[in-house]
Order: sequence, then C-alpha cells, then structure tokens
Amino acid sequence: MPARPTAPRPQNSRVKARAAQPQPQQQEPSADDPRVMLDRQLGTLYEPIPPYPTRTEREGEFYSLGDGEMFLNLGPHHPATHGVLRLVLKLSGEQVVDVDPVLGYLHRGVEKICENSDYYHVIDQVDPLEYVSSLFQEWPAVLAFEKLMDVQVPRRAEYIRVLSGELLRVASHTLFMGFQALDLGGLTPILYGFIERDEIVEMLAALTGARMLFNYFRIGGVNGDLNHEFMSRLGDWMSRAAKQSQAQSALLNENEIFVRRMRDVGVLDRATALRYGVSGPNLRAAGVPFDVRRAHPYSIYPELDFNVPTRDEGDALARYLLRVDEIRESIKIIDQCLNNMPDGPITAKLPRLLRPRPGRAWAAVEGPRGMQGVYAMSDGTDQPYRFRIHDPSFVNIQTVPAILPGGLLADTMAIVASLDPIMGGIDK
Amino acid sequence: MRAIPIRPVLAYPGQFWGRRSLVERLAMILIPAAMVAAVVTAVVLYLAIPPLLDFLGANFPLIRFFIAATAILVLTIPTAFVLIYLELKVIARMNLRVGPNRVGPWGIAMSLMPGLKVLSKEDFTPTGADATVFTLAPVVTFLASVMTLLVIPFAPGVVGLDLNIGLLYFFAMGGLTVLGLLMAGWSSFNKYSLLGGLRSAAQIISYEIPLTLSVVGVIILASTKTAQTLSLNHIVLAQSGSALDWFVFKQPLAFLIFFIAATAEANRTPFDMTEADSEIVAGFATEYSGMRFGFFFFAEYVNVFIVSALAATIFFGGWNAPFNWPWPVNLNAFQPLSYGPAVWFAVAAMVVLVGTYFLAMVVRLLGGRSWDAGSALVMGAIVIFVIVGGVVTLAGFIALDWVRGIVWFMAKTYAFVITFVWMRATLPRVRVDQLMGFAWKWLLPASLVNLFVTATAVLILNR
Repeated sequence: MPARPTAPRPQNSRVKARAAQPQPQQQEPSADDPRVMLDRQLGTLYEPIPPYPTRTEREGEFYSLGDGEMFLNLGPHHPATHGVLRLVLKLSGEQVVDVDPVLGYLHRGVEKICENSDYYHVIDQVDPLEYVSSLFQEWPAVLAFEKLMDVQVPRRAEYIRVLSGELLRVASHTLFMGFQALDLGGLTPILYGFIERDEIVEMLAALTGARMLFNYFRIGGVNGDLNHEFMSRLGDWMSRAAKQSQAQSALLNENEIFVRRMRDVGVLDRATALRYGVSGPNLRAAGVPFDVRRAHPYSIYPELDFNVPTRDEGDALARYLLRVDEIRESIKIIDQCLNNMPDGPITAKLPRLLRPRPGRAWAAVEGPRGMQGVYAMSDGTDQPYRFRIHDPSFVNIQTVPAILPGGLLADTMAIVASLDPIMGGIDK
Repeated sequence: MRAIPIRPVLAYPGQFWGRRSLVERLAMILIPAAMVAAVVTAVVLYLAIPPLLDFLGANFPLIRFFIAATAILVLTIPTAFVLIYLELKVIARMNLRVGPNRVGPWGIAMSLMPGLKVLSKEDFTPTGADATVFTLAPVVTFLASVMTLLVIPFAPGVVGLDLNIGLLYFFAMGGLTVLGLLMAGWSSFNKYSLLGGLRSAAQIISYEIPLTLSVVGVIILASTKTAQTLSLNHIVLAQSGSALDWFVFKQPLAFLIFFIAATAEANRTPFDMTEADSEIVAGFATEYSGMRFGFFFFAEYVNVFIVSALAATIFFGGWNAPFNWPWPVNLNAFQPLSYGPAVWFAVAAMVVLVGTYFLAMVVRLLGGRSWDAGSALVMGAIVIFVIVGGVVTLAGFIALDWVRGIVWFMAKTYAFVITFVWMRATLPRVRVDQLMGFAWKWLLPASLVNLFVTATAVLILNR
C-alpha cells in the first residue's frame, strides 16, 4: 500500500491577506491630533461660530452670552419651522432672550432665472415660490407684464382669476389653521385642514390640470375655461363650505388650551408692523385696514362687495381669528363671482413672441400672506431686463426678532406659525 | 478496462474537519454537548428534586414573588403592543383616516413592526454623551414603571404582591420614572434633551403632590370600611357592592384632580411637555435610537396602562362588577377532570379540527372563488379559535370569580386608556408656565380642600 501523499494544508485567502498587511501599531494620541483637540473642545463644539471680527454692533451683542444663557439652534431641520427656517435662539432657561433668523437654505436665484427666460416662461418659474397658493405668485407677474404691454384682459378671465384666487386663499387659510394647531401639539386639525384643502385643490386640478403648481394664469387671461367637473365640484363644496369652516374653527376657538396659548403671545403692535412693512393678515390683525384689493384695486375687486376684517390686539390669536374671518369674506366673493360670471373669451390675442416696449411696471396683489408684488423692467427684448419679487413672508418673518424675545421657547412655535411664513418665497 | 483510481478518504489528517461548513461544525459540537448535558441534568434533577420541593415548600412567598414579577414583566410586552395599536387606530379614526390596515387583518400586527424596527437598529451613543448614564437611563425608566404594576390587584387573589403600603409603594416607584428621564436628558449631550429632562423633572415633581394628596381622601374613606391600610386590595374591597359604592361618586373632585395629575404623570397630551415634538424635537429621547429608545417607548405606554389601572382600582371599584349579578348558573355538578385528561384532549382536538373544516367549508361556500382552499382553512381556524376562546372565557366568567374580576378590571382600565388616546387626538399642548401654574395654583389647593372636607365629614359622621 502506497503511503498517502501529504499535501500542505490550504490556507484561507483572508488569513493570507491579513498577514500581508502590516498591523497598525497602537500609539498614544498626541495633543496635536485633531480628534483629541475636538474631544477637548466638545463643550463648545455645537455653539454657533460667530464671525470674527464681528461685523456689526448687533452681531457682537448677539454672540456674547450672559450669565446662565445658552444658544439653541432651532432648524433648519426641525419639526415646527415650516420648511428650512433656522432660528438661532439665545435662551435663559426656557425664556427667549434674543433670536437671529438665518435664511437662504432654499435660495435658487429665481429672479435671475426669470430674467433669462422669456415672458411666457416666467409664470412657471415663479410658481414654486409660493407653494401653498401658487396662483398668487403668478398673478402679480402677469399683471406687471400686462401693464408693460398694455394688454386688456377679458372680463371673464378676470372673474375666473378672482374665483380661483379666492378659492386658493380659503385653502391656504384652512391649512394655516391646521398648522397653527399642529405647532401647539394638536394632531387632528391639520388633517381636517388637509381634507378641506384637498377638495379645493382637486377642483382646481379639474380647472388647471395641476394640484399644486398650477401654471394657470397667462399674460392677458387664463389657460382654460371653466369646465363641468370644476363647476360641479365647486357647487358641491360651496353648499357646505361656510358650515365646514365654522365647524373647523370652533374645534380650536372654543378650546381653552389653544386660546390661552395664543392670547397675548407675540404681540405685533401697529407702529412696529408699519415700520417693518408688514402686510396682509398680520398687519390687519394689528389694526391697520390695509388690503391691496381695496387700497390699490386691481382686476374686478372694485365691483365686488366684501369687508376687510381687522382686529386690534395684534397677538397670535388675533392673527388666527382674522384668517378665520377672511375665509368667510372669500366665500362671499366666490359666491358673487359665480353669480356675475360673464360670457366671452378667456384670453386676449397676443403674438407668440412678446417684445414689450422699454419701460417698467409694478404690480401687486393681495395674497393669503400679504402683498405679493412684482417689479418688472423691459429693455425691448423678449426677456425681462429686471424682475424683482416682493414676497410678504420675507417681510413678515423679519418681525420675529422684534416680537419673540421675552416669550418662552414654546411661544416661538406659536408665533412663527401665526405669521404663516412660506420658505419658498422667503429664500427665492 | 480503465482502472478507477482509489481516492484516499482523507488526504491529510485535518481534512474532514476542514471541509465542514460552519453549521456542521456547530452541530458536531453542540449535539453531543447537549446529549451530555441532558444526561447530567437528568441525574442532577433526580438527585435534587426532593430537596428542591422541600425548598419551594419552605419558601413559598419568595417563589410566588419571583413568578409574579416575571409574569408582570412579560405582561408589559403585549400590553404595550395593544396600546400602540389602539393609539394608531383610534387616533386614525378620529382624524378621519383609515389607520394601519396592511400588517395582519385590520392591521393588528402593526405595532409589532416598530418593535422589530427598534430591535434591528444600531445601538448608537453620540459623541460627548456620558455613556454609562446614557445606557442606564432607559432601564431605570422602564423598570420604575413596570415595578409599579406589582401592587395592582387584577382580580381577587391575582395580585403581584399585596403590600400593606401598596399605594405608597406605587407613588414611590412611579416617582422614580423622572430619574430616568432626567438621566437621559442630562447624559445625551444635546440641548433639546436637556430641556426635555429638566421639564420632566419640574413637571412630574409638581404633579406628584396633588396626585398623592387626591387619594388621601379615598384612603380615609376606605379605612372606615376595612382595615386601616394603604393596600390596594383593601381599597378595592371597600368598594364592593354596586357601582354606587365606587369612590368616584364619593370623591368626584379627587377623581378629577387625580385624572389630571395622572395625565401629567404619564406624560400624555396635553401635558406631554417632556417630548413636545413641535418644540424640543423629542425631548429627552432626541439622541436615543434602537432598543434604548424602544425602552422609553415601552415605558410610555406601560405608564398609560398603569395610570389607567390605578384610576380604575381606586375610583372605579377595581375588579368589582358594577352591579350585583344574580348568578343563576351553578356549575359545581360539572367536574371536567372526572372524565380524565385523555377524553378531554380528544374532545378538544375533535372540536377544533372538525370546526376548522366545517367553517372552512362555509367560507368557501359563501365567499366563492376569491377564497382558495388554504385561505379558507386559515380563516376557519381563526374563527374556530375565536369561538372556542370566547366560549371558554364565557364559562370562566360565569364560574370563576378571578376571570370575572380580570374582565371587569380590564374593561375599566381600557376605557381609561381610550380616554387618554382620545385626549391625545383632541387637545393641543399647554405651555410650561401654564402647566406649573395650574399644578400649584389650582390642583394643590383643590386637593387640600378635598382632603379637609373629607376628613371633617368622616370625623363628624363616624362619631
């Protein structure tokens, strides 16, 4: 019998690879090691880094901490900051001492993009800025262009614009009511608000073809006539809209916890509001009856019968209740639009390529958050030479450092929500 | 003819072992080891059983305590799952949503999913956190809330430990919860966690006082009926009779105070300051993930159950039925064990098997082509088990007083649980200063007035 051949024992390839590589030697960490330095500085690692040297007096004041104070970085990723708003809060315990809003996380340079696109394309570029009620961002743009080109808009188109705009105002305010409750910890109103908004948005989808970014207004008119589905959905909704919004606001108005958390919180007085240039419901809640629809009438608003509700308190509750009142007025306007809807064309006749004469135009409409304005300048080419957007949220959010200090951390959410900012428009 | 070479069985000594897979190697080690262990265990048990029985007999209270503690610890898991499902589903219906409906029939297995998720996630400790305290915090919170269950009487005789200081023990253990939250908030190295932890300390300590004071009136009333003790069993016994004997009708103000303070104690909306998600992200739990977060999550729901159970025990008669049921059925003549276990096993198996096939047939006949044979059989099995379980429970309900007690107790407790869920769906959150002001300015004076009135009334009436 032959002897069994002896083969060398096969080695695992992984073992070989491990043996080939030199093992890292355990070393004592030196003081220069960045990780060690990081470890030592951990106590101050998460503080906001002040610019050095501080550029303004205000900056120096903000970044110097007093006794027992700390910074709290609220956002840009936070459940309650409505998008990417970042607030650097200086806290003393739970009390807010100072606040520095930091913007720009959503900046896209939309104004520049608009200056590089022709007049028709501007409409869908500005759409996503006001993403909750995007018709109100299209509206001033087309108004400004119509002023530049001296276009006469057909009356039916004006009625359709007002009708769809007021519907969207109701949707936006209903959603605001839900978000206000959500930021105070109430789970349910936001879902009721979304149900209401969904009905409106679905009917607008039947009219415009989109649920959110409508791209519906055109220079000299609108993109489509009223159709059967829209009208039947609208009639269905109108039959219970007032009752439904009443029921939804009662869920919060009659809630003691909600009212107590909103009353006397974030008081924006008349003088401060005017100094900052606040507009819209936030200004009217401070007692100034300024509404672009009445102060600088456009479209068919002079013919319509509606009130401009105001409140004198200027606190978060007043801002909330004012929007509830505005929903009622909007429903009134929708009713009048439906009753007086004229027949006729829905667009003016315009050439394919628009080349307005050199000039400049300013147009503003009253959006759900305030005055939505556009300043457009033409140099005779098919693109606007300058296109400037005035966004109400941008102005309204500036009042936060003025009205927030002295409140508690929890009030921050109530106040920011009651100003109803939309970050798309703020960062542009 | 070609010669077939003879391959050596083993080319080298270690080849057999080297060619085995990991499972085979483990099996080759573990199976003989298990066999040896079984033999050794059998021998040891044979030798040890008589002294062990002696030991068990001699230390019965100790053994009972161990079994009760284990049972309660195990009980918390299904309780938490049921509560999570209830909360998901009830809030969904109140929000006009459908809620979970994908995992299992009516989504009843939905609450298992977050459980599995937290188990499979990374156990993460953030840089700069105090690792020891960070790890211990969820354990403290969870154990503190589970240990309070020990003194709750579920039914006559079904109680973990009938302490004569039961209520005091309950509040002491419940108060320990805040320690865990504070530890979590402090050790996380996160400002949101710190704010959450400090809020919880302030809140729970403030609400502990009206919570404890509100039940003193009940203790005084119970002491006039039974022995002077803080045992929860005696408080339940003092409420025996009809629903009119429940303490909620004698101490309505105390019940209101107790309910509000208990909501704050369990960190539920509208007093969920410690994890106010729209303010401080997730409060003390911001930096937690994986099973450590799972313990906080569990503790929260167990707390809801415990607070509801205590409310049912103290104010709603515990395991007492709301009325004196005239029990007409006397099952004493029916002695199931006299027929022998084999007969019973056969009958039970036959009922289940025949019932499954019969119901599957019915399902197939009624449901038509949408039911294949397998689905119909599964449905039949589910239905027959529900029917058999219902019949057995009903028989127990009629015949055994502890089954009756558990059913009444659970019905009352879950009524409170649903009230808590309802509140969460309805109410916004109060602010920190309003929360503290309410405790010190309203609840504390009210509970003192209630105590004074009760004590005076008892003193005058019992003279």
